[in-house]
Amino acid sequence: MRLWHIVRSRCRTLFFRGGRESDLREEWQFHVETERERLEAAGMHPDTARQQALKMLGSVEQLKEECRDARGTAVVDGLVRDVRFACRSFRRAPLAAATIVATVALGLGLVTVVFTILNAYVFRVDAVRSPEELFAVERQGSGSSEIAPGFAREQYDALVRDTNVFSETFATTSDVTVWIDGLRRQGRLVTGNFFRVLGASAARGRTLMPSDEDQGGLPAIVLSYRSWAQYFASDPGVLDRPVLLNGAQFHVVGIMPEDFRGLEPMIAPDFWAPLSRLNEFRRSDLQPAPPADLHIVGRLKRDVSTAQAVAQLRAWDLQQPAVRSSARTAPSLVLEPKPGTIPFSAETMLAFIPLFFAFGLILLIGCANVANLLLARAVARQREIGIRLAIGASRRRIVGQLLTENFLLALVSAVLAFAISRLVLATIVHVMTTTFPSDIGNLRLAVPPADWRVALFLLIGAVVSTMMFALAPALQATRLDLVRAIRGEVVRNGRPGRARDLLVVAQVTGSVLLLICAGIFLRSSWVASTVDPGIRTSGIVSVKVLNERSRGAMLDVLTREPSVADLVASWPGQFGGLGALPAFAQGPNGNVAVSYQFASPDYLSVFGIDLVRGRGFRQTERSVNDAVAIVSEKTARQIWPGVDPLGQVLRIEPDVDGLSAVEGGRNINTSNNPLLVSRSVVVVGIARDIAGIRIGGMRIGDVGVYLPISVEVPTAVLTMSVHGEAERVRHVIADRLAAIDPNAGEVSTLQTLARAEVYLLGVPFWLTLALGTLALLLTLSGLFSVVSYLVEQRTREIGVRIALGATGRNVVALLLSQSARPVGIGVLAGVTLTSALAAALLATPAAETIGSTVRLFDPIAYAGSLLCIVTACAGATLIPASRAARIKPVTALRQD
Amino acid sequence: MSDQTDVLQGTLDLLIMKTIAIEAMHGWAIAQRIQQMSDELLRVQQGSLYPALHRLEHQGWIVAEWGTSESNRRARFYSLTKAGRKQLGVELSKWERLSSGVHLVLQRT
Repeated sequence: MRLWHIVRSRCRTLFFRGGRESDLREEWQFHVETERERLEAAGMHPDTARQQALKMLGSVEQLKEECRDARGTAVVDGLVRDVRFACRSFRRAPLAAATIVATVALGLGLVTVVFTILNAYVFRVDAVRSPEELFAVERQGSGSSEIAPGFAREQYDALVRDTNVFSETFATTSDVTVWIDGLRRQGRLVTGNFFRVLGASAARGRTLMPSDEDQGGLPAIVLSYRSWAQYFASDPGVLDRPVLLNGAQFHVVGIMPEDFRGLEPMIAPDFWAPLSRLNEFRRSDLQPAPPADLHIVGRLKRDVSTAQAVAQLRAWDLQQPAVRSSARTAPSLVLEPKPGTIPFSAETMLAFIPLFFAFGLILLIGCANVANLLLARAVARQREIGIRLAIGASRRRIVGQLLTENFLLALVSAVLAFAISRLVLATIVHVMTTTFPSDIGNLRLAVPPADWRVALFLLIGAVVSTMMFALAPALQATRLDLVRAIRGEVVRNGRPGRARDLLVVAQVTGSVLLLICAGIFLRSSWVASTVDPGIRTSGIVSVKVLNERSRGAMLDVLTREPSVADLVASWPGQFGGLGALPAFAQGPNGNVAVSYQFASPDYLSVFGIDLVRGRGFRQTERSVNDAVAIVSEKTARQIWPGVDPLGQVLRIEPDVDGLSAVEGGRNINTSNNPLLVSRSVVVVGIARDIAGIRIGGMRIGDVGVYLPISVEVPTAVLTMSVHGEAERVRHVIADRLAAIDPNAGEVSTLQTLARAEVYLLGVPFWLTLALGTLALLLTLSGLFSVVSYLVEQRTREIGVRIALGATGRNVVALLLSQSARPVGIGVLAGVTLTSALAAALLATPAAETIGSTVRLFDPIAYAGSLLCIVTACAGATLIPASRAARIKPVTALRQD
Repeated sequence: MSDQTDVLQGTLDLLIMKTIAIEAMHGWAIAQRIQQMSDELLRVQQGSLYPALHRLEHQGWIVAEWGTSESNRRARFYSLTKAGRKQLGVELSKWERLSSGVHLVLQRT
């Protein structure tokens, strides 16, 4: 009841202010009248009585104000007045307001970019029904790095039949690569109930249904919104015409809505297709088809706990016959929540902290600049603030008013920051998707949508940045010697020299950090581009045969093509003809782990790999059954230390279990593959050791044992040395092959692959360079304004110095030495911080991969960045300093 | 008039609530009633009366209604809410404890 009265009273106060005030006026009138009547009745003269009554109660305006205070609406009133006042002061100084808005918006926008990505990965829930009920059945991987093996179709059927912990269950494959209309796409094969279990419906057309699993008729696929928009230009007509998928006709039956990702953490695959059509998605040469690696996801029944479910599933698993040929002991089953996001763990945060840090630095530096600007403005506003303090405004009130003023600016910045973040994200995605070499792979990128979390983040960002840039200047501005401030004198202790120096230190530190990072990435990519892989990378084109039925025709075309010099084959050759598989070689000292590759006779000469001793494969040695081998120098030393390897017999035992650790190895058919049988061979030649092409810690092309193969062998990759420019020949060859079969093969150049590492290092380089440049520019403008301001404040003093005989050079030296201190401290702090971070990075488990690609302690990167910063800072100081040196003593002294 | 005392700071709320506990009253009458009941010993600063009324209303102890005064004019009548009545009891016992404490101290020293 009391609550009701309070709410009613407060609502009236807030929303019917006018009514409340007129009530009070009427009440006041009534009171005065009654009092006057009483006094008159007591015998007072009417005029005196009225005066007396008025005196007793006071003016109506005063009463209103006091009642407002009593009701506690002063806060609201004050706020409204602050906002009005702020708007007026923006009109007075629009340039300062615009500078603040732009600077904060830039910083906030960049941080929002990172948050939008984090949000998309971690917080954004997939558009599926009750994702918290979904669990994936997984085998506990024995090692953390090892990918847990999946299930076979029979196991999935058995699980659905024999267990009853899930109300519904579906299975999907991992990403499957196919060629749709001749372009590489990745999708997932799913059981027909996939969309029903997830409770998702199509944006256009229909989703897949269990009936789509039946064989017969044109197979159906469903496109994700992103692939429909990116690859089909949002053409609704795609639903009406069949598309060519791996050369076979498929029917696009539906397009999913934009926010449906099919439980993928960030970006939906290109398409979904029925699992029963698996064989049409795989290369026809792999017969019999290997068992599919399936992921099983189920919707847990409401009355079943995860512990109960795991217990039942484990019991079921023990009764299963070992379907897999793998001799590994099957790890026990676990249930993993499948909310369609990356679990929010310390690991995820660890990945995002550096990004937040790098982008947040810009915001910090920007805020420091704005704080600097406000400190300078505070001096200009000393008189105004002094007068307001003197006529009775409380310090709290003025600080509150200054904060309101800046918070309003920060809010405008937040709106602008949103636009900036969208623009930056769109630019990044556009640049990445258009420059990413298509023969390396399919880059799945889309601008993550913004939602209410991003809006909330921006709001919080606005509050936090207001605190960062406005609180200290506001406190400083209200700490005044009132009498002198009103007289318009600049109060000395109101000039916050130390605060400004600290800001410059922070800015320089941030710039140093970012620019050294940029320098490190630049140096690393430069080093990567100059490392000699030891093999020829230019003028090499390779063709992956996708439709083995066309291999003969393709070979005809390629051998007749005039731009092709030599045609060789290799297996595996997933990296533009290069590649290797793990094996054990039995030598006199037991098993040695080696890498091996099948290569046709001229393979080594095409790649420019010299033979050190012995001979290469003869033109007659082109069958996988020819028992000859060429061994690299290093491998020869490992197997036969101190013995002449030529003529030795070697037994090669393919490491089938180790295949999954090799890139692309999981797609290799392991059962009855003639290329994976053990064999004994005689060493006929020794090949020179090569460094190989480095990509993210891998070394491609570094092969220990070469075995013979012919170009006709199915799955062998065809590689050619060509006349003329490789990229041009690639197009020529692709056109020739498309004439035979549009999905017959994938043509790529080795050059792109060789440049991949440079490209991959280029991404962080451009990112840190852009951030570092921004940071430096902000720092320079900050430093410039500090020194300019200092010169202006000290015009008189400098004039006196010059009058007393100081030369221009002395004045410049004086000002330089003053800004040298904060810059010097900032540089030192930046270098220390960077090397500390580098050392910390090298202490993490990922150190080996990072250390081999990124030169964390490159002296040239450090020196170059520092030189750049120090020169720029000196420049920013010199311009106002030289202006100071030209001060005419007479003018300066006449100033006051 | 000179022997009148201003109402002690903080007791005005208590006096107002006690006064309107019996019947609803308008502001002027409340001030008059307090003066009369204290045999003209206490004087309510009329300027602080209305802020106090607003404060009490804001806290939900009292409500105001428009009505007609004895002189047949429109006036705002204040009355206690149920919660206000309870609060009055709390305030009264608080006051009694305070005044008897002060009384004891003054007598014994």
